[in-house]
Amino acid sequence: MTSPALLAAVGEVGKGFIQERSSDTLPCQADSSKLFCFDWARENIGRYATPTLQQLELVVISVLIGFAIAFALSVFAHRHAWARPPLLAGTGILFAIPSIAFFLLLLPITGRGRETAIIALSAYTLQIIYRNVMVGLANVPDSVRDAARGMGLTDRQILWKVELPLATPEIVAGLRIATVSTVAIATLAVFAGGGGLGTQIYGGGNLSFTTSIIIAGAIAIFMALSFDVILLAIQRLATPWRRAAAA
Amino acid sequence: MPEARAADDTESLPGASSVRYEGATKRYGGSDRLAVDHLTLEVPAGEICVLVGPSGCGKTTAMRMVNRTVEMTEGDILIGGSSVREREPAQLRREIGYVIQQIGLFPHRTISENIGAVPDLLGWRKDRTEARSAELLALIGLDPELGDRYPVQLSGGQQQRVGVARALAADPLVMLMDEPFGAIDPINREHLQNEFLRLQAQVRKTVLFVTHDIDEAIKMGDRIAIMREGGKLEQYATPAEVLMAPATEFVEDFVGADRALKRLALMRVSDISLWEAPLAYVGQPTAEVRAKLDRDDVEVPYPLLVDAERRPLGWLSERDLGADTVPRQPDSPLGPLLELDDVMRDALADLLQGEAQYAAAVDHEGRIAGVLSVEIISEFLKSPRAKSDEHSAVERPHD
Repeated sequence: MTSPALLAAVGEVGKGFIQERSSDTLPCQADSSKLFCFDWARENIGRYATPTLQQLELVVISVLIGFAIAFALSVFAHRHAWARPPLLAGTGILFAIPSIAFFLLLLPITGRGRETAIIALSAYTLQIIYRNVMVGLANVPDSVRDAARGMGLTDRQILWKVELPLATPEIVAGLRIATVSTVAIATLAVFAGGGGLGTQIYGGGNLSFTTSIIIAGAIAIFMALSFDVILLAIQRLATPWRRAAAA
Repeated sequence: MPEARAADDTESLPGASSVRYEGATKRYGGSDRLAVDHLTLEVPAGEICVLVGPSGCGKTTAMRMVNRTVEMTEGDILIGGSSVREREPAQLRREIGYVIQQIGLFPHRTISENIGAVPDLLGWRKDRTEARSAELLALIGLDPELGDRYPVQLSGGQQQRVGVARALAADPLVMLMDEPFGAIDPINREHLQNEFLRLQAQVRKTVLFVTHDIDEAIKMGDRIAIMREGGKLEQYATPAEVLMAPATEFVEDFVGADRALKRLALMRVSDISLWEAPLAYVGQPTAEVRAKLDRDDVEVPYPLLVDAERRPLGWLSERDLGADTVPRQPDSPLGPLLELDDVMRDALADLLQGEAQYAAAVDHEGRIAGVLSVEIISEFLKSPRAKSDEHSAVERPHD
């Protein structure tokens, strides 16, 4: 799909950007053989604050929504085995849609804006989180489940007091992958009018100005790594028995 | 082995209830074969009933019908006179201790939390649950500090003890134990079996114990229910009766040709007259010890070195006696050390394993009580006394 639509979208996003930049051109900015223009970076770093916050919001909201839905689906599928193949297939199809296409396909339905971006981003996390929760629940030893049942825990108590706590490592692993990949995909939210760091990467359609792309990319990488470290720390705090095993 | 009690006090003991199977049957959906076939038997309160048989005989299914982790198709099971069918399953299970071979401790809970799991479900106050956990840790002989550890930090034997403690936590009326010691190595299994029997003497629960090992059944059971393929009960009797008078050819085969030897499993070291060893104390003149050895009625030809509390330290050799006084370090190590409570079969195994002719047996305080020899055991097996003991055991009234 080469894309009048794509170009239109990019063009629209970048309008303000081009005007701003043309008003005051620095020497190294004009030289397209330079990969990174420090002078420009120093003067313009402030313009990344808003896109970064937007990006952060997109990621947090999308992952939370995706987690809530995927978690509910997993708990349902855990009880009802018949639901597993259709759910795996359904979330798999969502996951397989090319990202830009997904954003653009949603435009006529939900319109431009942050909500559209969040819908697409949430949809991408479903498969990863759903699969990991299911794997985590499946890894709970049968003997533990048998003992819990024999001791008089109800099915609900077994799920919440035994199975889900034991599945924590897999669930958090799923959240980490989902979050990191959402940080990456959220840079495309700009095509749905969702803002974020994408505005600084594809902004103006001038993809030969690498300085801005590098800065936005670095922020995205830093954001992804930070989420990863935070979630890893949460996992370690939440699963003290695993540290005991390693010691 | 606890004596079978008279029937009129078997309905319930403080803290234990009888279990009565009334034609309990399990048929798995669609198939004609029965997993358990109209099982009828009664386990008096406070006794251990071992369900034993080859794999596929339905023993585990029969056990699981009691706490309704398997639902019976026909018939009924009564605990203390009331039907399990009328109970809400989760509630019922909280009154029944449950121990399985794979233990199934909760890996994410500490040992104390594991033991407190059922009290927690029953809504006990936190301090009461904690006190109970500590009490049970002491009862199973674990260091109270282990209470804060996670299961993965304990050995298999320790984990299995915790599994038993967890089942006892809410003082259940009945305990179900599914091959509880099946995954433990033979030496530790023997320890755990003995420990459990000692524990049972204190807590007096009604226990349904599943095993495929007839030796374990003989050792652990007040009564044994021998089952065969298709969930049929072949014989339900005391261990002595099963050994002396197998009801069917199947039972005879299952019990095996070495029945005489198996009778040793019914006795403890204290049940037989032990030999007396000449005792020697550190620093005692060796001449005195030699005098003891020279007496005509000496039963053990080696002097046993003991400390001031009469706790055995080792055997003295001819060379040790060459000195003027008894040395601090004996020449030969003590070898197997038995306790009066040990089951004779295990004691014999210890003797054979230690390649020893003699083994010192001690009382609860660790003081020397006598010496067991391979000869004592073989004489016993040959003697008519062995037979008459068995007969009195068989005729012991238990109805």
